[in-house]
Amino acid sequence: MKGKAVLSLGMIVLLVLAFGFQASAQGKKPIVVGFVHTMSGGMSMYGISSEFGGQLAVEEINAAGGVLGRPMKMITRDDKLNPEVGLREAKDLLWSEKVDFLSGTISSAVSQAISNLAKKEKKLYFITIAHTSAITEENFHPYVFRISSNTVPYFGYAPAIAHCKKWKDKKFISLGFDYVSGRDSIKQFKEKYLELVPEAKFGEELWCPLNTTDFTPYITKIANSGAEGVFLAVIYGGGEIAFTRQAESFGLYDKFHMNHPCAGDVETWSSVKKGESYPRGALATCRYPFWAFQDPRNKSFIEKHYNKLGFYPSYGALYQYTAMYVMKAAIEKAGGVDTEKMIKAMEGMVVDTMIGKVPLRAFDHQTMMPTWYGTMDFAPGLSFPHITQIEKMGEESYHTIDQIKKIREGK
Amino acid sequence: MTFEAAAGQALSGISVGMVLFLIAAGLSIIFGTLKVLNLAHGSIYMVGGFLCYGFTSTFAHVPGVFWWTLMVAPIVVALLGGLIEIFLLRRIYAQDMLYQYILTFGLILILGEICKFIWGVGYHTVNAPWPVNGKTFIWGLSFPVYNLFLIACGVVIFGGILALMRYTGLGRTIRAVTFNREMANALGINVPKVYTGVFMFGCWLGGLAGTLMPPMSVVALGSDMAVIIECFIIVVIGGLGSLPGAFIGAIILGLVTAFGIYIIPKLAVAFAFMLMIVILIIRPWGLMGKPE
Repeated sequence: MKGKAVLSLGMIVLLVLAFGFQASAQGKKPIVVGFVHTMSGGMSMYGISSEFGGQLAVEEINAAGGVLGRPMKMITRDDKLNPEVGLREAKDLLWSEKVDFLSGTISSAVSQAISNLAKKEKKLYFITIAHTSAITEENFHPYVFRISSNTVPYFGYAPAIAHCKKWKDKKFISLGFDYVSGRDSIKQFKEKYLELVPEAKFGEELWCPLNTTDFTPYITKIANSGAEGVFLAVIYGGGEIAFTRQAESFGLYDKFHMNHPCAGDVETWSSVKKGESYPRGALATCRYPFWAFQDPRNKSFIEKHYNKLGFYPSYGALYQYTAMYVMKAAIEKAGGVDTEKMIKAMEGMVVDTMIGKVPLRAFDHQTMMPTWYGTMDFAPGLSFPHITQIEKMGEESYHTIDQIKKIREGK
Repeated sequence: MTFEAAAGQALSGISVGMVLFLIAAGLSIIFGTLKVLNLAHGSIYMVGGFLCYGFTSTFAHVPGVFWWTLMVAPIVVALLGGLIEIFLLRRIYAQDMLYQYILTFGLILILGEICKFIWGVGYHTVNAPWPVNGKTFIWGLSFPVYNLFLIACGVVIFGGILALMRYTGLGRTIRAVTFNREMANALGINVPKVYTGVFMFGCWLGGLAGTLMPPMSVVALGSDMAVIIECFIIVVIGGLGSLPGAFIGAIILGLVTAFGIYIIPKLAVAFAFMLMIVILIIRPWGLMGKPE
């Protein structure tokens, strides 16, 4: 009898101690962020760059004591630029790894799929590159937040406003990658441009598959088109470099007013040196002209990114870094990881980013990330071509709340 | 459409087609002799492109570096092909075709990752070399000299391979092995050696195309997948196993795409596929292939 009593007492003590340990371990349970991005293939530069931005933020946040005492952790998965793979990874992150939030990616198709999942599961999803306006306009739901620019300012309104200011052309021809962002881009460019220059005429819309690296037949068609302005509807990355090379050798940059929104993307053009083909004199927009900021956080960010990865940071790195801090701010304001409270905390929040104070609009959960535009040139100080004579556009280059209301009703 | 515009469009279509011809020719020759459909042929082309960038950037101070690279890079790719054939492909000749596809598909992934590991995820450029780096005017349209150079390369290589196949002993041996493997073996021809040699030659062609392309385009991961589909269209139209077929197929693809863009841009991409479907229905062995 005595032995049994001792045994039961011992067990009770052990259980109490175990629960006790559990309770204090709860305090240190990490906040887990699921990061789905393109880590392989042609677009992997963005995934790798963005991952760096996210991990740097996690390190800094943890070094400063974490979020409400809890450390942050980021788990990376590769979506291979494929919606099925991306969705599968997002599901695995939610159900097996039990992440608190999802974030990423570059492909609008993958992001739409993950957004639908977030809606169903009532989990927060922070988009950190994917640009299609549809996700925050027609297909909006309260669990999606975009810590990034979107097609409206970057590929539509800013280039239109800039083109009107600089050249005020009346005849256009366009070429774009044939996918949702390309289609959105030309639609939104026309929307704004025709508002500013109602008599402008948009000729043929040329479309090519997303992986095209040979544009020669399109270029000869543009060369013979008789247009004044040429608008590239989301031709980016390696395809853009190839296009520029080919277009320059056909003399397009002498004959036409070229409008290349993505030419300002540093990550694409940083390998090009003086004397090589670049979009000479073209209008371009840029999401992160890091050389133009005084905020010292930029200098440190660029140096760390360059030292670790060997190339300059993409806007993806900036946005993912910012997103982690948005999550931190939201959790602190809400007092914990509580989805509904965090949504209320983030709507209308002003995010303190390396590129300035950016409001997070409540109506569409879209951060009013600025767009900078200018003329492509080489300038002393940087070895690669970039925008010069820079001007900035903020909230005025996004769809207004009324415009979005109309879009949502028209659906 | 004016004559100048049409001619310019045709010329641009053909210049693209010529690079695709080189890749498709390699694919076609490999299939003709080894009866292996090398799904990784696009990756072989991509490796050629990365080697072109690697050599021209590492030895940028050497005058005429591009021309040296043009000689050396395809040979390196051919040697890689030799290793693949000897250590990997040989083991599956006797097995089901399905294993070929799985193996060569696996090679696509492996070669892609190796390129990423060595050269990173960024985009790379190579400048067109002197003396083919200028612009010229054809019928009032500014045209890059390099594209004309590519057309010339395609024609010369085509002629060279035809001559090799028809007039040399080596060519006869290859044709014999292609025609009847068992008989060639019985006559004392070292068939495994011919197989390795032909595979290496096919890879040499792919590597050559990969080295020629960067000055008018960009070196990037993902270019393997972009190019392999167009190669399949070419060999289906022209006939798998036929070299003249690959040449004609490449010209047809180039022209169809170029004029498709001019006439109905929305369907331009579809035209090539539609043509391929038509050929598959009415003449499945291709324009110059042999019915089996």
